[in-house]
Amino acid sequence: MSSRLLARTILIGIITAVISTGCHHGNGVVASHQPTGPGSETSVQGIGGPGESGVGARPLVGGEGLPEHGQFPAVLFDYDSARIRPSEESKLEAVAAYLKANPGKLIIEGHCDERGTAEYNRALGERRAIAARDELVKLGADTSRMSTISYGKDRPVDPGHDEAAWAKNRRCEFVVVGQ
Amino acid sequence: MERLWTMLIRTMVCLPLLSGLAAGVDAQVDVVKGRHSFGVSGFSGDAAIAGQVTDVLKNDLRLSGYFALAPVGSAEYVQSGTVRGDRNGIVVECIVMQQATKRVALSKAYQGSAQDVRRVVHKLSDEIVQAIAGQRGIAETKVAFVWAHNGAKELAVMDYDGYNVRQLTYDRSISVRPRWSPDGRKVVYTSYKNVFPDVLEVDLYTGQRRRLASYPGLNSGAAFSPDGLSIALTLSKDGNPELYTMNAEGTDLRRLTHTHAGESSPTWSPDGQTIAYVSDESGVPQIWQINRDGGSPLRLTVSPSYNTEPDWSRPPANSDMKPMLAVTSRVAGKFQIGVYEKGSGVVTPVVADGTDNEDPSWAPDGRHLIFTKTVHWHSQLYLLDVVTGEQVQLPSLEGGASEPAWGP
Repeated sequence: MSSRLLARTILIGIITAVISTGCHHGNGVVASHQPTGPGSETSVQGIGGPGESGVGARPLVGGEGLPEHGQFPAVLFDYDSARIRPSEESKLEAVAAYLKANPGKLIIEGHCDERGTAEYNRALGERRAIAARDELVKLGADTSRMSTISYGKDRPVDPGHDEAAWAKNRRCEFVVVGQ
Repeated sequence: MERLWTMLIRTMVCLPLLSGLAAGVDAQVDVVKGRHSFGVSGFSGDAAIAGQVTDVLKNDLRLSGYFALAPVGSAEYVQSGTVRGDRNGIVVECIVMQQATKRVALSKAYQGSAQDVRRVVHKLSDEIVQAIAGQRGIAETKVAFVWAHNGAKELAVMDYDGYNVRQLTYDRSISVRPRWSPDGRKVVYTSYKNVFPDVLEVDLYTGQRRRLASYPGLNSGAAFSPDGLSIALTLSKDGNPELYTMNAEGTDLRRLTHTHAGESSPTWSPDGQTIAYVSDESGVPQIWQINRDGGSPLRLTVSPSYNTEPDWSRPPANSDMKPMLAVTSRVAGKFQIGVYEKGSGVVTPVVADGTDNEDPSWAPDGRHLIFTKTVHWHSQLYLLDVVTGEQVQLPSLEGGASEPAWGP
């Protein structure tokens, strides 16, 4: 990514995050994530006092409000499984084709239904996102343009408590940033 | 403020129900459950303070598991005392006597600020437990947990009885899976504040936060070793969720597991030599164990077919309790809390009542568990005494509470 494009990505990110505070996913602050180990974090906002909002602040549920989330259909999974079903292959082919033809980075979100415990589902959601990423690499996508996020069971797309809802919630979503 | 009042009112409604549990216990020692009968005669002096002190003391003694509240006339132990209070603080004087022998088990005065009434009584309660049962009490301990409200998951800390809730984060993001440092000063947790799940640490004294792990992908499940020098956690930076250890500064990273499955939820054994965790390498999630330096993993649990969220207890050296591993099992579509005893391979259910029960975390006495109970998709925190089998609901919080971690 050129430095101009990176700067634009960050700018869009900040604007998106500020605008989306209080509504749906603000998925713009990706560029600030550094793949590093420990670091100092001086922010003490919120400790013992009310009210911090701003970049990085996002509500829990939702995702259908911004065009980025609806751009590609979600890839669905079987219960307690991170295997890509043959039926979902064509969805990944479309994502891979888009990445080849367009600039930008891809965030792959892994999600689970509510029938697993919290931390186990965080690992399962990550395995789903990684499975989708690895499949996209096989289809020719550049791994350095992709990041994974597991939300476990914290962001269901369907708030229901039946098999129909669970089937929709066991998914990977794809978000393009910096296009 | 309104929320606090809602909580207080709900609690006041609960208290008569709770004290009703002890009614009808006339025997001096509850032989089945090993509890001493205890009569609280209350405190003379300022009526408002005396009433609060008496309520907190009764609740503490009952939750300790070592006492059954009983009428003063027939109890093995009786309490009497006075309270004084003004703007500068309170003084609580308390005498506990074994009625039959006239032996004074405890006679002591406790001082604190006017805002500290509960803390002062918690100290008194723990000293009564120590004096009569010879065991470490839990009344002065704290619990960190996840408070879901206003569309976010924030971290909070409260007293073990559900009072004095203090919100730690105001990120309006997702903050989950808190775990304490053994000195009780720090809490590590998973934060989505910067979009991706990272491991953060908050210092409860200064409020300072620092980022301990923010590798690509998943950074989660951090847990301090018993000596506080190491942290075990799950990272996916090498292409799959695997277990790692690092030092408490977040450096000296070492990879422990190498599988195609997912590894998560590490908990250190009481001696700090091994780590129990969840892996679905066998096709279903089960509890495994690995040496703190790596090596070959050993599978601990066999059944039921879904065991997650292991938490090792660390009972004090003089305790009657043995180290135990609490887990969350999934049986017939419901989560239940079970306890695995070393070497047995078997998980014995301790909370299996048809509701969903998750996130077990041991108190430092190795006898009590705090866990999340979900009824009609609403999650609240409960205490369990594994000796008596009694469950107690903590004051309910607006929104919902989950993933509790009992402090040292």
